[in-house]
Amino acid sequence: MIKLEIDKKEIMAKKGETVLEVAQRHGIYIPTLCYQKDLVPYGGCRLCIVEVKGWSIPVASCTLPVEDGMVVKTDTPRLKKLRRFSLQLILSEHPHACLICDKEEECAKYQECIEKSAVTFGCKFCARNGDCELQELVEKLGIKEIPFEFSYRNLEIEKFDPFFERDYNLCILCGRCVRMCQEVRGAGILDFQHRGPETLVGTAYNLSHLEIGCQFCGACVDVCPTGALRDRYSKWLGLPERYVKTTCALCNIGCSIKINVRANTVVSSTPDNNQICVRGRFGIAPLVHHPKRIISPMLRKGERLVEVEWEEAFDFVCTKLNEYRAKTGILFSPQLTIEAINSVYGLADHLQCEKLATTSALETNLKPLDLKGFRGDLVFVIVNTDMISDFSPLLLKLRSQQKIKPAFIVIDAVDSKLTQIVDLWLRPELGKEVDVLKLLFAQKKMKNTTAVSTQDIKLGKDLLKKKNIYLLYNPYNIKNITVPKYVKKIPLTAKINALKIIDMGVDSSTMDLLQDKNIDCLYLLGTAPKLNRKYKTIIVQDCFPPQVRFDLFLPTATFAEVNGSVVNIEGKIKRIRKAIEPLGKSKSDDWIIAQISKRLNHNTKNRKPKKRKTIISAIAKNRKVGEKYPIHLIVRENSYSFRGHRLSDLMKGFERLRGDGYVRVNKRTAKKLRVKDGAEIKIIGRTLNLVMPARITEDVPENSVLVYYHPSMGAVNSQPVRVECVH
Amino acid sequence: MKKKTNKEFRLHLLICAGTGCVANRSYEIKEELVKEITRRGLNTEVRVAITGCNGYCERGPILVVQPDGVFYQKVRKEDVPCIVEEHILKGKPVESLMYRPSPDAPPISRMMDIDFFKHQTSVVFRNRSRLDPEDIEDYLRFDGYKALKKALVEMNSGQIIAEIKLSGLRGRGGAGFPTGLKWELCRKSPGNIKYIVCNGDEGDPGAFMDRSVLEADPHAVIEGMIIGARAIGAHKGFIYVRKEYPLAVKRVKIALVQAEEYGFVGENILGTGCDFSVDVVQGSGAFVCGEETALLTSIEGRVGRPRPRPPYPIEKGLWGRPTNINNVETWANVPQIISKGAEWFSGIGTKRSKGTKIFSLVGKINNTGLVEVPMGITVREIVDEIGGGIPGGKEFKAVQTGGPSGGCIPKSLLDLPIDYESLVKAGSMMGSGGMIVMDEDTCMVDIARYFLDFTLHESCGKCPSCRLGTKQMVEILDRITEGEGKEGDIEFLEDIGKNVKLASLCGLGQTAANPVLTTIKYFRDEYLAHIKEKRCPALVCKSLISYVIDPELCGGCTVCAKNCPSDAITGEPKEIYTIDQKKCTKCGICLTVCPPKFKAVKKVSPPVK
Repeated sequence: MIKLEIDKKEIMAKKGETVLEVAQRHGIYIPTLCYQKDLVPYGGCRLCIVEVKGWSIPVASCTLPVEDGMVVKTDTPRLKKLRRFSLQLILSEHPHACLICDKEEECAKYQECIEKSAVTFGCKFCARNGDCELQELVEKLGIKEIPFEFSYRNLEIEKFDPFFERDYNLCILCGRCVRMCQEVRGAGILDFQHRGPETLVGTAYNLSHLEIGCQFCGACVDVCPTGALRDRYSKWLGLPERYVKTTCALCNIGCSIKINVRANTVVSSTPDNNQICVRGRFGIAPLVHHPKRIISPMLRKGERLVEVEWEEAFDFVCTKLNEYRAKTGILFSPQLTIEAINSVYGLADHLQCEKLATTSALETNLKPLDLKGFRGDLVFVIVNTDMISDFSPLLLKLRSQQKIKPAFIVIDAVDSKLTQIVDLWLRPELGKEVDVLKLLFAQKKMKNTTAVSTQDIKLGKDLLKKKNIYLLYNPYNIKNITVPKYVKKIPLTAKINALKIIDMGVDSSTMDLLQDKNIDCLYLLGTAPKLNRKYKTIIVQDCFPPQVRFDLFLPTATFAEVNGSVVNIEGKIKRIRKAIEPLGKSKSDDWIIAQISKRLNHNTKNRKPKKRKTIISAIAKNRKVGEKYPIHLIVRENSYSFRGHRLSDLMKGFERLRGDGYVRVNKRTAKKLRVKDGAEIKIIGRTLNLVMPARITEDVPENSVLVYYHPSMGAVNSQPVRVECVH
Repeated sequence: MKKKTNKEFRLHLLICAGTGCVANRSYEIKEELVKEITRRGLNTEVRVAITGCNGYCERGPILVVQPDGVFYQKVRKEDVPCIVEEHILKGKPVESLMYRPSPDAPPISRMMDIDFFKHQTSVVFRNRSRLDPEDIEDYLRFDGYKALKKALVEMNSGQIIAEIKLSGLRGRGGAGFPTGLKWELCRKSPGNIKYIVCNGDEGDPGAFMDRSVLEADPHAVIEGMIIGARAIGAHKGFIYVRKEYPLAVKRVKIALVQAEEYGFVGENILGTGCDFSVDVVQGSGAFVCGEETALLTSIEGRVGRPRPRPPYPIEKGLWGRPTNINNVETWANVPQIISKGAEWFSGIGTKRSKGTKIFSLVGKINNTGLVEVPMGITVREIVDEIGGGIPGGKEFKAVQTGGPSGGCIPKSLLDLPIDYESLVKAGSMMGSGGMIVMDEDTCMVDIARYFLDFTLHESCGKCPSCRLGTKQMVEILDRITEGEGKEGDIEFLEDIGKNVKLASLCGLGQTAANPVLTTIKYFRDEYLAHIKEKRCPALVCKSLISYVIDPELCGGCTVCAKNCPSDAITGEPKEIYTIDQKKCTKCGICLTVCPPKFKAVKKVSPPVK
């Protein structure tokens, strides 16, 4: 322990702590601006300066390690003067008109709505007004005037990227976004440009964030102390009144988030002292308040869809379910709450329905992922899984929580953001991923037919030496993995509640369910698959209009509007809390099913649903490309979806970032086939016929096309196909 | 054929190959000399070689004939046959190429008799005008690597450090931290891997001594580093040189290759079990990279921006390891301290500042060049005796030491002894040793603005006080020099300046305001003249001057009118000409072209309305 004196108080501290940390812990206020917990101290803003006995000039406390016998003063007149000086200088290039305006009171009274101006000249014009660290500091340091000439950088506001905008005229160069992007996210999208008074924050070559490969996690936006970086969706929705701690149910990681609410409107969703991804940061608010949402029950009467009351809807459901009972097929999305899933099973039990299936990709040996269970020198081998797009918060944890920096090897024929940052990327021929694994773990010499150079295999073997090896893969994207026993396999399923569903079991796979001829009534909970035949009745329970012709639509609430829980990849039960009341007449899934059960005289209380035998869909044969079908079709799980709806169909930002509605075509292959970017193409396989617009890219290997799975594609898996242009 | 040793030559023609002389085509002269010597069949008795910078760059290209020490200046290619014919064959040195203190003074033949060299003390420059920097044999001939042998074989690290501490050597890069103490702290700093760094990122306008040392005697720096590495326990060193010094980079690289061939660098040096290797890292010319923490981040491959200290580099430097960083000149001093002993070194200089210091003497001074002088010498001695006074009989006004981070020393402090403490006391600093002499035609407000503008644009942009504080000051100074100065500006400048010094993160910001604060301190009248009278006493600030033709003196020769680019001068031949102030762009051509017999064009301030 170290004993030091701060402001005449004797304080004990640990070795390695900084003066600022110790002072903060003891309730001694030192103003800060560039300091941010979790980031390496920067010492740039010069507001946290303190006086130390024996030092001739003040020193930044955020970077100053404590020493035994140190005598620190945090609040002398000289410090006050210097802090005000630094802050005034910062304000000399930050539009501050409103901060020093003497008409402030009248303005507040009469000019409520002047904010949405194109250029921010002062706080009143700024989206972050009232939620700004500069404003706070001006108040705390009592700044009433700026003696310096104001200079406006006059830069164009960067509005060309999805999700967030950047007005670097407001930037005070605290470097938080830069450090967040580099240190915590490891992305390195942002950095300082130029020097001296021309210093700016920006990207390499001033490329847009989309071009430069930004993940749009929004971590930079969340640490920005000013309005320089701002969430486009929530910009003018006003400051949140409440913050509701809940869980993001968009993928299997189930990150803790805060849903920020103002007047029964979800303004935005932000991380809860953790790192999240673009889905949780920018996907939730626009999803909840999406204009396409259906928020009242709809019943087909003749050819017309009519808005009806819940009672009429329930009457219809009960009549039909009573009529078809066991001939009802139930297909549910895993993105429901556990409570809703339980009630679905309860209802199925009551109906004696043996036709229950889910759209989740399942794997029988799924076990909870133990993030604390990794020990020693680690190497992670990632197969056919873009961990940055699909599991970035998990990847960050794997990277940062280990004592020794782990190594990462990627085996994937498809290029992604992940391949740029890992230690080794092995790019095999399509379908040869398993062979690469065999080569990596082979004791003896083996014939190499994978297109990965023997030298790279050797590099891989060197990386694996004397290390604890973990194999990470999405079971949807790669099948038939065999590795030696000392390699621990960790399947990463993308959809939440996978562990719950594995535990409960299902009766059949989606494909089998849809081929079952004995089903007359289909009850679809949050999924809209491609139907191969006609049904007597189709009931859809969802938030958005499905792509199938239905007889009844039951509007459900999103996870921001309900209470409940989900189980994530780690097997943790995470709370879902109601942030706002369900929109319109929409109701939670469990309430709807409970109402139906009640009307069917089924007592839902205290009854454990029966477990079912899990059936995993049969593994498709690995067929080779031939003359008739010369192109590989790669099908990857789309983890950017909500209840079967692609986020990229619902939100323009995701459309630009992901474009999941497109089929990715290799550049050279496209040239050969005369496919133009954006043009519709036909993908024809043995049992397949898809028409999708093309996006030309070099990410996919030659002679291949890639699609992200969507239920509307029907039964589709990786296979040889033929590609034709639609003219 | 056996290579001839140097003693077998009758004469050595040593042509200076410092950057200044190279730019003046000294290599062509060398080739011509070789050709001429060969043509005359003298190549067995006369050797032609290059040397590093002699320091007297103003007189380049320089040719020194050894062993007589005859000093030829401003040599041209055409002079070569004459030199060979007269001096080498006939033994009559060529007087027309010798230095003369004034046009009518008798020529001085020997280098050490010239005033510029006479008053200097060569420690770091001990090998100047005698050593080929691209040949390690030459360095060895002049006792090179002897200190290394002594340090590695006869001394342990404690003894080396004790010797350096005893010598009183202080860092030559600016702040003057005791070198021995730094080494000791770094040695004691926990960790197995340690680094040493040579700071050759010389960015001050007008300073070029580090470049010159690296170009002239690279082995001395390398030898110093190896000794330092041994004392500290480092096995890896870096020499950080700016990319704008290609010749220095080239010579250092050649020297490193040769040193490795001779076993002074690499594994198991001289069989003592010491390992040490050196890499050369080139900076991209950012002034701030001379700051040690910025330099280290730059070596690490990141943007060169300073970080707060503590932790100091001796605790956490390159890649978090203890790192000892010293300036080029400091390293070059080390071998001699070891070989000649601490007592010899501490015999030079003052009580607290030992040894010598190299200054680059530039500006309004007769003898421009590099001078090495003992600490404690006065400004007057440097300016008058070595520098040869101000050209054109003008009045001395001030000298700026320490580059843009330093300050102005006025005439009243001409007898100030130059050492670390007294310079700081005067408001300036030693810095890396730039010395810019200013005469009466220099406007102190303008010069302060110039230096501050330099610092502003070289600021890394990290902390607001430096990035924005200096910007505010430059804006005020701009206003003052444009005649828009206001009452209170001086006080405001002083206030901002003092705050910038205190609130900034690194040395760049902490010293940025020095030129302004010292010029205000010593030349407040000039500021007041600019602000209150809208007058520039030195007749420099364009907005505050006018060009006028004195009707009494004008001869009506029409030259000024013919040369005026803006047709501002009107008049009839043989009559008196006048300047239309509205049209005049103040380019000054009329002043230049007015024949000396008239001297009719004058600058006046405040400007004529």
